[in-house]
Amino acid sequence: MSDPHDLPQEVFLDEVHSFEFWFQAVAGYLTERPHGHDPNAEEVAISPSRREALITTLCNYAIGETAALEASSGMIRFAPNRRAKIFLATQVVDEARHLEVLLHRLSELGVTNHEEIVQSRANRSLLAFRKRLLQFVDGHDWEAALFAQNVILESMEFAVFQAHAELADPITGEVLTGIIKDERRHMGFGENELGRRLADTPHIRARLQAVKRELDPLVLDTFEDTLEQVGVDRGDRPALGRRYIASVERLGFGL
Amino acid sequence: MSDFLSAYSIQNWLESCPQGYLADTEYGHAPGQKEPELVLDNPTLLRDTIRTTVQLVVGERCALAASSGLINAAPDHPSKTFLATQTLDEARHVEIFTQRLYDLGVKKSELENTIAEYANPNLVKFAEVLLEKVDKGDFVAGVVGQNIVLEGMAFSVFEMLHAAVGGANPKFANTLSGTIADERRHVGFGENRIGSLIKQHPERKADVEKMQKDMAYHMLATFSSQFAQSGNAMSVGQRMSQAAAESGADAPAPAKWHGADLATATPEEMEAVLSDTVLKEFKIRLGRIGIEYQTPTAP
Repeated sequence: MSDPHDLPQEVFLDEVHSFEFWFQAVAGYLTERPHGHDPNAEEVAISPSRREALITTLCNYAIGETAALEASSGMIRFAPNRRAKIFLATQVVDEARHLEVLLHRLSELGVTNHEEIVQSRANRSLLAFRKRLLQFVDGHDWEAALFAQNVILESMEFAVFQAHAELADPITGEVLTGIIKDERRHMGFGENELGRRLADTPHIRARLQAVKRELDPLVLDTFEDTLEQVGVDRGDRPALGRRYIASVERLGFGL
Repeated sequence: MSDFLSAYSIQNWLESCPQGYLADTEYGHAPGQKEPELVLDNPTLLRDTIRTTVQLVVGERCALAASSGLINAAPDHPSKTFLATQTLDEARHVEIFTQRLYDLGVKKSELENTIAEYANPNLVKFAEVLLEKVDKGDFVAGVVGQNIVLEGMAFSVFEMLHAAVGGANPKFANTLSGTIADERRHVGFGENRIGSLIKQHPERKADVEKMQKDMAYHMLATFSSQFAQSGNAMSVGQRMSQAAAESGADAPAPAKWHGADLATATPEEMEAVLSDTVLKEFKIRLGRIGIEYQTPTAP
């Protein structure tokens, strides 16, 4: 595939938001990795307490991915153009795949009653974030839904998954690395789409800032809880928080 | 239920579809394949081909809106997962049929106007009946409307088009092969998943049957007006194929579909065989899920 950045703007957008682009992008890292990892990879021994913490973390990732699946599918109906609809369809299948590989990883860790255990270990702030995100979707509020999902949620997941992948057992690390590659594409869509909208209609900035102020406490609480579970040193957490903030700041939304 | 739904996982979809029958294709066909000059050079055939392709785009846009809209109404994770794969299948169909319009000479700037000009109003009404159920979050009616009625119709229309264009247009035939493979999976999910839900909720049958009747009415009206508009193009195509055969050119063998000779059939005969085939399939598929087919009034 030639570098799409060499293409004129309109052709570039058609290209990177297409099924064909998605197909080429995922083929490289999903081929021969059923359920997101090398099937011959061996489990390393982890202590019972670390295993329990990992299960709780993966349960919350599953909630985040379910929220993203429900939001991205709901947004297709009111997306403003065909290329956005097609891109969101690729995101829908990405999010469903993330959910599937996370649930499969839970099975590999011995969890059988997925639905029950995921709900029982859910972080309250993450559930509140999901509820608010789906309210934006149900209200057909394109800018707020896109901002909450493709900028805030995806940026939070991107930062947390990156940190976790560096510390995780090899199989979990490989699963997360595959997910991160998708998140990068989703964030790019959100930043690009919202960036152009902000340039054309600057008045929506104030409203999105209000959305951010409302969601920030939920994001930061979830962030702190998850980093604690995955074993990130307290001293390293501010740097990881800055990764999340950097993504949001690219659109001009500082904390 | 969970056993059959595990067959509809993302993993199975990735292996069978993008990494399977779509491998090494672009926009659903082999790289480099083009629309035949016979179509591109004849204004009557070109216009009719654009009109037909617009109906495919309209139908697939409806399927994309419906399958994505049903994800949040789905009662379990495996059904959400399957619908996620269907959402991307439908988006791909929108993309490849839209690309076909570009290949036929429609400019990007004229896409929406072309669709608005040629979209069959009966097909738009057919879509509205389905999307009303989806908007209400009615999973049972939505899946019957989408995966049995809409997909069942699309399946037969694609098969007929595939038989009709076969040897004369390998590019479009390849594009259709991939979509037929997708539709087969979608119909299978609809039959398997909804059968058990109808058994659990027999009170839903009357409402679902009314929706099916309304959709069948608009579908038959769509077929009727489409074939009425295609008569001239069909005779031009048949005359050109006949002339090519008489001149000794390497013409494709005459195609038959459900007993009809597609090289000589009149528009009325084509409409009759397509309607009969789709309705027969509806009756079988609806019967499998415990729904009794309702005959609409003749459009």
